[in-house]
Amino acid sequence: MSELLRLEGVEVHFPVRESIADVLLRRERGFVRAVDGIDLAIDRGEVLGLVGESGSGKTTTGRVIVKLTRQTAGRIAFDGRDVTRLWGQRSLREFRRRVQIVFQDPYETLNPRQTIHDFVAEPLEVNGLARGREREERVMAALESAGLRPATEYAFRYPHELSGGQRQRVVIAGALVMDPELVVADEPVSMLDVSIRTELLQLMLELRRQRNLTYLFITHDLSVAWVIADRIAVMYLGRIMEIGPADRVIRSPRHPYTAALISVAPTPRPHPPGTHVKRTILAGETPDAAHVPSGCRFHPRCPLAFDRCRTEEPPLFDVGGGQSASCWLAERGTAAELAAVLVPDAPGGAVRAPDGPSASGAAPPLGQTPVPGGVPAPDGQPR
Amino acid sequence: MTAVAGADVRSARLRLRVRNARSFVRRFLGRRDGALGVAILAAFSVVALFPDLLVGPLQTVTTATGRQLEAPSVAHLFGTDHLGRDMLNLTVHGTRISMTIGLLATLVTLVIGVLVGIVAGYVGGATDTVLMRITDFFLVLPTFVLALILAPIVLDLIGTDAQIGGIRATLFVIVVVIGITSWASTARIIRAQALTLKERAFVSRARVIGASGTHIMVRHILPNVLNLIVANAVLTFAGAILTETTLSFVGLGDPFDPSWGQILNAAQESGAPGLGAWWYVAPPAVSVVLVVLSFTLVGGALDEVLNPRLRARR
Amino acid sequence: MTADAASRVTGRRQWPLPKLADPSAPLLVVDGLRTEFTLEAGRLRAVDGVSFRLDDGEALGIAGESGCGKTTTALSLVRLLPGNARIVDGSVKLWGIDLVQKTDRALQRYRWREISIVFQGAMNALNPVRRVGDQIAEPIEKRLGQSRAAGLARARELLDLVGMPRDRGRAYPHELSGGMRQRAMIAMALACDPAIVIGDEPTTALDVMVQAQILELLERLRRDLGLSLMLITHDLSVIAETCDRVLVMYAGRVAEEGGVGAVFDHPRHPYTQKLMGAFPDIASGRRTLDVIAGQPPDLRNPPAGCRFHPRCPFVMQVCREEQPPEVRFPDGVRVACHLHPPGGDGVVAQAAERSAPDAPPQSPAPVLAAVPEPDRAPDAGAVPGLAAAPDLAAVPDPAAVPGPTGVARPPVVPPPAARTPAP
Repeated sequence: MSELLRLEGVEVHFPVRESIADVLLRRERGFVRAVDGIDLAIDRGEVLGLVGESGSGKTTTGRVIVKLTRQTAGRIAFDGRDVTRLWGQRSLREFRRRVQIVFQDPYETLNPRQTIHDFVAEPLEVNGLARGREREERVMAALESAGLRPATEYAFRYPHELSGGQRQRVVIAGALVMDPELVVADEPVSMLDVSIRTELLQLMLELRRQRNLTYLFITHDLSVAWVIADRIAVMYLGRIMEIGPADRVIRSPRHPYTAALISVAPTPRPHPPGTHVKRTILAGETPDAAHVPSGCRFHPRCPLAFDRCRTEEPPLFDVGGGQSASCWLAERGTAAELAAVLVPDAPGGAVRAPDGPSASGAAPPLGQTPVPGGVPAPDGQPR
Repeated sequence: MTAVAGADVRSARLRLRVRNARSFVRRFLGRRDGALGVAILAAFSVVALFPDLLVGPLQTVTTATGRQLEAPSVAHLFGTDHLGRDMLNLTVHGTRISMTIGLLATLVTLVIGVLVGIVAGYVGGATDTVLMRITDFFLVLPTFVLALILAPIVLDLIGTDAQIGGIRATLFVIVVVIGITSWASTARIIRAQALTLKERAFVSRARVIGASGTHIMVRHILPNVLNLIVANAVLTFAGAILTETTLSFVGLGDPFDPSWGQILNAAQESGAPGLGAWWYVAPPAVSVVLVVLSFTLVGGALDEVLNPRLRARR
Repeated sequence: MTADAASRVTGRRQWPLPKLADPSAPLLVVDGLRTEFTLEAGRLRAVDGVSFRLDDGEALGIAGESGCGKTTTALSLVRLLPGNARIVDGSVKLWGIDLVQKTDRALQRYRWREISIVFQGAMNALNPVRRVGDQIAEPIEKRLGQSRAAGLARARELLDLVGMPRDRGRAYPHELSGGMRQRAMIAMALACDPAIVIGDEPTTALDVMVQAQILELLERLRRDLGLSLMLITHDLSVIAETCDRVLVMYAGRVAEEGGVGAVFDHPRHPYTQKLMGAFPDIASGRRTLDVIAGQPPDLRNPPAGCRFHPRCPFVMQVCREEQPPEVRFPDGVRVACHLHPPGGDGVVAQAAERSAPDAPPQSPAPVLAAVPEPDRAPDAGAVPGLAAAPDLAAVPDPAAVPGPTGVARPPVVPPPAARTPAP
């Protein structure tokens, strides 16, 4: 069966308890809806990029999959077997051998008082998978396949003696030593220098090829997902807004949020002089997951929102080519045309009206005459 | 895949340990406070271990070598007490008692405190609540008063002349009492640190690979509270000596095995201060101060040296 | 600096220039700056002969990876250095006034009032137990000697300026979102109306949407207030978006410097080329990334000659021996690389002489040609083998898994005219 992981309607709601009385009486004053109903399927050997900003629920999703966090609703199936109710150290032993995670911060994932060798050997030790010589061999093999050669040079060092890239390789070695099938990578390269990132990404793809690994690659950086993922899912405030093959999602996004993310995706190529890039910069920030907006949760920030968006939450509509978007525009078959566009500078300097409620009322800065009027806010920008 | 010989692994591990040890010693002694503290402690330890070699057997009433309350002189460097015993002799022998009690009491405190602290902090929930309430209870009990009450009770239970593991009953009582009254603050401190550690990524990772709670507590939480424990141990040791001194001073000590506090107690009762016999009071008192000071110095130096993260910031 | 510019400087400021300032001198000239750290293992020269100039109203981006010395350079300007660091050579001339020669006390006149800094990770730079408004008002009260009421009033103005609601001044840092905190930091940096604002990785910890907002804010402030900006970042796209000029640093030295368009369109220094290639670029349709073999050198024991030579695909013998001199091209770009020796117009002649199998193409080639993977010559960047190994505790990172460069992908159909060039 080629489908390795399936999530159906998975929710993670954390209760909000404010006072001691609440705690004692187990009374909630609301919920933080970190993950609010997602459906996801990952095929064996695939790299699924899960993209979202902070507050989107992507990290919580990753944690639910590796069973660090318990889902409050929904179904999880791994390799055809329902693992929703699988809990407890003993029952999870087999599952944990096959599903592993690489965390974001290589400086934190390693116990500062544990040698590299012990870190990589620990999964074997804890699960009684190998002893003595066989254990040593597996540890060294894991280190070497993560690019740390010769392994003996690294094995008996402490984390603080290694660079960030090397530490992350150690973390990868630690995740691989039990020969897992699914690896959840939670922002594995965000904290590394740009030039080191490429090596680590290369390594991960190489390992996928060698071992037929499957990755759930969680990142806030759409550009990194663009490079490494086969399919991309975009999350916002606990739900998937769009999902589909990577180039389709990037080249023809069908959800305004995806389009906005793409339009502000940083690029190192500067624009020709006399022009600037018109990017769709959304106002404000992602709202608090305890106060999810009604209807489509993106509507308060959406430049294309209309009536229905405020009242009804759209399901994921299939827009063809394996791509789906959770947007009423997608139902109609309209593409969200919000990609970045290069426009000439207006005479006098085209200054976009700054976002935020003080747009019109800003006091003149420091006694200088204000710059001749800003460009009015684009149509539909909600206030 | 390179096959790695077992010998390679073993030698690499050994090299690491040697490197660590050398680095540790170098750093520790490189600090003025660490070096000084160790020097003082070493001196006292030698004194504590070989009192007979240094000053001969403990003098008693019958073997007193001087006259009563003699001022310091060449024959008696610290003078004599009200029974004519050489003060230097008494002080040196007192070292052994005081330090032994301090050590044992610290051990008791640490074992209970660290255990309770780690379990309460990591396991959390109802376990945490129950353990913390117990801790709170012991936290508010006044050490001294409790000691005064407990001592006679325990002595009654085990008999005044009994010996447990070669330690006389009275001393044993003091150890137990100090232990019981000190563990609570250690538990609190360790628990706070365990709470922080619980949230860190390497603990999450340990859970994801399937480690049990016990494994995590022993292999991940404990090593990372080590520097806290050491700092705490050092201060506990110092506090134990002070407490013991006080308890003995008040009369709960053993006149036959005089600790420093016991000497001070004897000094007090014999009216030495009023007679201007400062040499009766000074040696034990100064010894207490020096030992406590050395512990504090060592504790401070250890704290910095033991923390690999601090070291790594180049 | 012309008289016009001078009046712009004095005209827009609320506070007078320093007494010793020479309005006809350039705003900031850094010449041969050298900063050293004293460690227990030896001395580390984090900044080794860096020179550049910042003109009034300009935005200069300093690019490079961690450990290249860019932050130390910025902090050296106002001597906000840790205790074990010292400026050992060079000058920092603000309107002709050499700040390096000033005592710490004298430097107080310049810190925050002429040059201020927006730090990375606002959460760490803001005092968690004081209200944001008070923190913004503090430099106004302390350095400008204003009253508390005046300080708070100005703080509210500044919050407005950075696009925050005025009443948020009463909030504590933890009550604000990441973007708001960064705005508050910017407001604080503007408090004394400085001439230069240095941003040290101002958007690194932020979401991409918030990053876009902050960059837009910086751009607006620069235009409205006539600020000069120095942005320190490893993220080339931030520089491409906001800056006029870019200075690429490597291992404490300047690799390349020039106008953003000139440098990014045809980077001359191999490191710049590689760095640009290492950034994924959605807009260009390229789904490959370049690998820079090895890792940044240990500055306690830097490589001889050109510091990049252990990792450079075009390394020659001279690179291992001599530090490359700086060469200035007609388009205003400065490069320090033996591929571009002084005398003669450098590039074209050089390329024709090279017979190495991976000869660079005739014109300085951007690495970012969206060329299908099979046509591309194996990039010399995927050099197996270790980088030069300085003796240190951290063992050098062995070169990555040998194999095809970058992330192999089938070529992607370019986007349907997503970018319309200006007419």
